[in-house]
Amino acid sequence: MIETENLKKTYKQGSLKVKAVDNVNLEISDGEFTAIVGPSGSGKTTLLNCIGGLDDPTSGNVIIDDEVISSYSSGQMIKFRLNNIGFVFQSYNLIPVLTAKENIEMVMLMQGYNKQDMDQRSSDLLSEVGMSNMSKRRPAELSGGQQQRVAVARALASKPKFILADEPTANLDSKSTAKLLDIMSKLNKQENITFVFSTHDQRVIDRARRVVTLEDGKIIKDIKK
Amino acid sequence: MNLITLIKIGWRNIWRNKKRSLVVILSIVLGLYGGLIISSLMITLNSQRMDTAINTYLADIQIHDKEFSKEYSLSDTISNIQYLEEKLKQDNRVKAYSKRVVINGMLSNSTGSYGVNVLGINPETEMKVTNVYTKIIKGDYFESERSNTMVVGKKLAEKLNLKLRSKVVIAFQNVNGDITSLLFRIEGIFKSGNGMFDDYNVFVKNSSIFSNIPDLKSYHEIPILTVDGGVTTNSLNESLKLDLQKINNTLDVKSWDEIAVELAYANQMLGSFLYIFMLIVLSGLSFGIINTMLMAILERKKEIGMLMSIGMTKIYIFLMICFETVFLSLVAIPFSLLITYITIDYYSVSGIDLSVVGSGLENFGVGTILYLKLPIEYYFNLSLLVILISSISSIFPAIRALKINPVEATKSI
Ligand SMILES: Nc1ncnc2c1ncn2[C@@H]1O[C@H](COP(=O)(O)OP(=O)(O)O)[C@@H](O)[C@H]1O
Ligand SMILES: [Mg+2]
Repeated sequence: MIETENLKKTYKQGSLKVKAVDNVNLEISDGEFTAIVGPSGSGKTTLLNCIGGLDDPTSGNVIIDDEVISSYSSGQMIKFRLNNIGFVFQSYNLIPVLTAKENIEMVMLMQGYNKQDMDQRSSDLLSEVGMSNMSKRRPAELSGGQQQRVAVARALASKPKFILADEPTANLDSKSTAKLLDIMSKLNKQENITFVFSTHDQRVIDRARRVVTLEDGKIIKDIKK
Repeated sequence: MNLITLIKIGWRNIWRNKKRSLVVILSIVLGLYGGLIISSLMITLNSQRMDTAINTYLADIQIHDKEFSKEYSLSDTISNIQYLEEKLKQDNRVKAYSKRVVINGMLSNSTGSYGVNVLGINPETEMKVTNVYTKIIKGDYFESERSNTMVVGKKLAEKLNLKLRSKVVIAFQNVNGDITSLLFRIEGIFKSGNGMFDDYNVFVKNSSIFSNIPDLKSYHEIPILTVDGGVTTNSLNESLKLDLQKINNTLDVKSWDEIAVELAYANQMLGSFLYIFMLIVLSGLSFGIINTMLMAILERKKEIGMLMSIGMTKIYIFLMICFETVFLSLVAIPFSLLITYITIDYYSVSGIDLSVVGSGLENFGVGTILYLKLPIEYYFNLSLLVILISSISSIFPAIRALKINPVEATKSI
């Protein structure tokens, strides 16, 4: 379970202080399929970065399975991210010089998997996201949608507690968007994988089972379907 | 995480921007090539200089009387020379030897006078030890029946305006202290390749000296050529030297590098000089390497941010960038070595003709044609130096990469 406790993040822009995340208290249980929505600049990315330990909150806590991760050192945090969180970004998810399969396996290499398990798991994951036949392609030889599917597979490779996806469909056409969401929602239902993703795309919002709306860094609506 | 993956990523990364990487690789290739060729030139110059000195005058080992080595006095001849010669003839480490009378005197004619070193020799035995007879450019090397003939260097001949059959007078202090003058005619003019030697040394037959100075009973100098001679100092020469010294403690037995200390010293200095020189050249190159890598890292901020986000530790990021940097030079090294080898191999046979700057080289004691050579350890050591310097260079970009924030990965622009 992910919890935030009075989470605040302020940025200084010159003399101005911007409250990117303003006193957010949020609980996300295991197995949720939750969208963080809101207009551009509402704090979605900042909130996800704090939850994922990429950014330090100005005050408040992020607690994951009863561990206060916002107090971790940067070294601890890197290790925690590797073993517990899967990330999918809007773009630049993959290393351009590695193939789809190698990109997925890299995470497992960092975790110390043996070659056989790694090979098996990366093949399974590629087939789960429907990319088995493109395992040897490099990112540049894949479409944006295909790259994002590989990124989801990569995010899953480390067997994380949950996956954070910051506008994963922002660069995709509607067909690829639908396909990616199909895969995410299938993984959520069948494998009980927790997804938290940000978006401002209405079609993506419609597929979420919980929608948390931000405005100026504050939660203004939290609807569970 | 295993290193192979990092190596794979690093290796492939250098080919992402081919043009930029190739520019760096090419500059390393040329830098190393230039350094190796210059090293080769210097080493060749120096060793040809030593060869010339050994072949024209020094030989491998020389024996003098201890007193002669101090004062160069005519009376300090080598004592008990028959016994010494017997030993030399028996010793199979000795290839050849000769005996010289050495006189410091003034050479004069109507044009002027110069201080010279007169080497009184037996032409037949001397020809087995030194090669001045092959360097005659005018006249002959003691073929005339006349007794008082002299062979002089081209330099000295020019200064005193000496022609073949010109008359010269040698004045020197005799055994009993009186000044004695002897008349000689020029029979030959030589050009040894070492201008300084040609300027100062003249050859006469020792018979013409003995007949004019009845008080002189023996020789001053025995140059010895060994079976294992040459520029490299070796154990055979060293042991022969020690054995000869044991014969008689009035003898002063020295190897060529002890006699021509300045030559041997130059040789020792050269090694360190070349490494310092290469260090400077390669340090210049390292700026190019660092700059290229810094650019590459700025371009890949998001990618590196992503790697940090998904859990790549700092040490791996650091190593990844280091590998990439070092690979640039690893690609360059084989090319440099290959073209260096081809160049040196070619000029080791056909030689580089430096007659354009020839006169300068001759004063330095080298012939005008350089037959390039480069000891194998230079290829090896200079390659190691390149790897060392690129490893050090890689630290700067790698540290820069560590400063990248993982949130870069989430920035949309
Ligand atoms: N590194 C930063 N420095 C200064 N201001 C920032 C920084 N990152 C985000 N902000 C500001 O914080 C607010 C929230 O940004 P963000 O979390 O990116 O919103 P969203 O992802 O919803 O578009 C914005 O006003 C943005 O300008
Ligand atoms: Mg955003």
